[in-house]
Amino acid sequence: MHNDLDQLLQTANQIILGKPRQIRLAVCCLLAQGHLLIEDIPGVGKTTLSHTLAKLLGLNYQRIQFTSDILPADIIGASIFNAQTHSFSFHPGAIFNQMVLADEINRATPKAQSALLEAMEEHQVTVEGKTYPLPAPFFVIATQNPSHQIGTFPLPESQLDRFLMRIELGYPDHRAEKALLSGQRRHDLIDSLPVKLPPERLQQLQKAVTRVHASDALLDYCLAIINYTRSSPDYHCGLSPRAGLALLTAAKAWAFMNQRDAVIPEDVQAVLAAVAGHRLRSGNTNSEAIVQPILSNVAVL
Amino acid sequence: MSINKNILIFLLTAIGLIVLPHIENLPPSVTGYFYLLLSWRFLGVWKPQWLPSKLMLLLLTVIGIAILYGLHEGIFGRDAGTRLFVTALGLKLLEIKSERDLYLIVFLAFIVATSLFLYQQSIFMAAYILVVCCVLLGTLVCINSNRSQTWQSLKTASEIVAQAIPMTIVIFILFPRVEAPKWMYFNDKHQARTGLSDNMEPGAISNLAMSDELVFRVQFTGAIPPSAQRYWRGPVLTHTDGKRWTQNRNGLSQKIDQPTFTGNAYQYTLLMEPQDKNWVFALDLPAEVAAPLRRNSHYQLVTSANPDKRTEYHITSYPTYNTGTITKDEYQEATQLPGPASANVTQLVQRLHGFDRSPDIFINQLLNHFKTEDFYYTLTPPLMQENPIEQFLFESHRGFCEHYATAFVYLMRVAHIPARVVTGYQGGELNQIGNFLDIKQAYAHAWAEVWLDQRGWVRVDPTAAIAPERIEQNINIDQQIARGIISFTPNTALAAVDWLKNARQLWGNVDYQWQRWVINYDNKNQSQFLSSLGISDLKTMIYWMADIIGVITAVLCWLLLRNPSKTVDPAVLAYQRFCKKLAKNGLIKKPGEGAKDFAFRAKRQLPEQATGIEHITQLFIKLHYGKQHGKNDLQQLNRMVAAFKGKR
Repeated sequence: MHNDLDQLLQTANQIILGKPRQIRLAVCCLLAQGHLLIEDIPGVGKTTLSHTLAKLLGLNYQRIQFTSDILPADIIGASIFNAQTHSFSFHPGAIFNQMVLADEINRATPKAQSALLEAMEEHQVTVEGKTYPLPAPFFVIATQNPSHQIGTFPLPESQLDRFLMRIELGYPDHRAEKALLSGQRRHDLIDSLPVKLPPERLQQLQKAVTRVHASDALLDYCLAIINYTRSSPDYHCGLSPRAGLALLTAAKAWAFMNQRDAVIPEDVQAVLAAVAGHRLRSGNTNSEAIVQPILSNVAVL
Repeated sequence: MSINKNILIFLLTAIGLIVLPHIENLPPSVTGYFYLLLSWRFLGVWKPQWLPSKLMLLLLTVIGIAILYGLHEGIFGRDAGTRLFVTALGLKLLEIKSERDLYLIVFLAFIVATSLFLYQQSIFMAAYILVVCCVLLGTLVCINSNRSQTWQSLKTASEIVAQAIPMTIVIFILFPRVEAPKWMYFNDKHQARTGLSDNMEPGAISNLAMSDELVFRVQFTGAIPPSAQRYWRGPVLTHTDGKRWTQNRNGLSQKIDQPTFTGNAYQYTLLMEPQDKNWVFALDLPAEVAAPLRRNSHYQLVTSANPDKRTEYHITSYPTYNTGTITKDEYQEATQLPGPASANVTQLVQRLHGFDRSPDIFINQLLNHFKTEDFYYTLTPPLMQENPIEQFLFESHRGFCEHYATAFVYLMRVAHIPARVVTGYQGGELNQIGNFLDIKQAYAHAWAEVWLDQRGWVRVDPTAAIAPERIEQNINIDQQIARGIISFTPNTALAAVDWLKNARQLWGNVDYQWQRWVINYDNKNQSQFLSSLGISDLKTMIYWMADIIGVITAVLCWLLLRNPSKTVDPAVLAYQRFCKKLAKNGLIKKPGEGAKDFAFRAKRQLPEQATGIEHITQLFIKLHYGKQHGKNDLQQLNRMVAAFKGKR
């Protein structure tokens, strides 16, 4: 079972060079059935990462480029009058795909943003009183530019909360960048990628993740972290119960990826920056720095 | 310095409040010195560079020692000890370097707070100290929590105090009272109390000090005697040299007849405030006294208990009595004169039929003389140094109770009637709420006693004979009412201040109960109280204590064990032992570091122990976080930790 995962990670690492940890977190997010937010400047490989994952997982993939004039109907779909049948028929939008890349989500207006985010939360779309379920598995990778850039509508905290993780890719290191420059075109590589983990296997793994054991002691540690964020003056507002659930689920997925059947505090610590960073301080992109006081102050035992 | 500014301000304020009541108790040099250091430290909160250097601190210490030395008290005793602590506290304030110093200061401050009780035990003081201790505890809460909000800490501290109060009450009631040995009563030389003395010199005082200080309180079971019968008997003065009246110490233990009592008895509980002398002021005339009380031959009660302690006595008195015959010694004592009477005096006695008619008639004539002649009652009589009695009788005609009583007794003795001066207190203010009498120093009084055939010693109060219109106007109204000198029915003018009087009485009642039940709760009272609960001996008391402690423990256990996650996993204990062993190698686990990360770090630093560290860590993770583990895993972990060699 873990073999498939390892192979998947290995292949992905050959496409996106020098970012094993971010890839691992992205796969972890996938296993925990959460959505992923990648926040970084353009051109560091956000799209390549999501494209690679879609290809390796054999999911049908659609990219939505968010612009300031995008409308909810562009994302969800619309009913169009059919002259032959003299009736309206629903034309599903880009969201009806297993993996959706919402590129530059913070360039769109809040109205369009919320259309996507509602679909993410409910796994279904309601248009003109009719409900259409979204395909399963359903996974959204959204990318966003740092909010200080011109022409952005930063996502409100309530909507950031819907993303299980937020990761930053950052510039590749010297060696990785050189390999990138000297290597093949990424686009060609992606096209030739085989499916490493078919959707039904992915769903099996997702189910296995939920069976990972979290002991009482570990739950206490999670609670201690949550309480710390609520009482410490370092944080403007603490983690919500939903954030607590997200933290535990992500930690379980991380433990599962490390071939353990029980969560240990190190798993929580490994995913904490990605899970809690954007919930604690949305404006700051350096998640590691945000959670550093938690990691050093909350006692493990 | 890493100490939070808020904590410092909090602590300094608390300490300033604690020492505040000591201003009354300590010499100004010590309090001045202390508050100087405190304000210096306060400045230092904002301007740390202004804090004294080491050399300066040494100099300040020397000054402090010099101040203490200059007071010539040493370091033992109540006053000296308190001064030492206050000085030390002030100096320590300037030397806050680490958290440890804060703790030391807080504990010093608690000691200083306790020392306040050595000076005053009133309800106010207790409440004040409780509040201040709350603030001090708040500082501790502040130091120990990562919250630095003042109100939050104060709230936590008051919660702690509120939780401690029921426990304190239980221990206060049940824990055996330890009586301090005699040498521990610090006798302070400066503590002078006003009160009656064993001698009297009427002419020497021209202005009687009126003090509102409480002498004793009396609670009657049953009826309260009318004001005219409230004569509280103190020392009896029999010997005079013409000016000065003193007690005849030799005559105090002679054998005398038992008085016979008739009529109604008054039973009462008398709570004596701390005194210099061992006198107990009983209602005229006390009967049936039990140890430690004793009735001397002047029918005065004396106690063998320590008069410096507030004590409660149960006494029975009869207002009508007959003391029977008089002994020869008594007769001599009661007719003693400093010398032959002058012609003026003899003439007066003769005119009032002192020599030719019965004593009864003479007494009435004399009282009538005081009433009809131009005698005045004043608290500010002229000085009469030469021959006070004659000067009073024939010239000034002005005086207070002492003048009247001594003159009366002197004239009786000239007429060969046995007479003596009785001092004590007259009256008492009735507290209607608590139904008890307050007897204050201002009610001090002197009256006369004459011995009459068939009737024994009879009380005569010549002061009461003065005509009401000749009483000086500026005399305390309360006092006059209490003495029965003037009387009036409450009118509308007084009704306005009625509520004020009520409030005062209510407070007096609270204070009385506090004194009786809290301050005076000693060994004897405790055993009395406990036996009324059915706890008669030590064994039952221990059972009670054990039961109550058991109940409290059970409640606490339930509260704690309700949340099973709070219990400590034995695997954690073993792992902590393992961490301790590694700490000897300088490998200290950070609080936020997981076991696996720590093992990784430890293995790199101690490669030769790597397998041991790995095994222990894996087993611990399995036990503490795993889904399931074998029965012997815990034992194995314990064994492995025990076998693990920390040292390289």
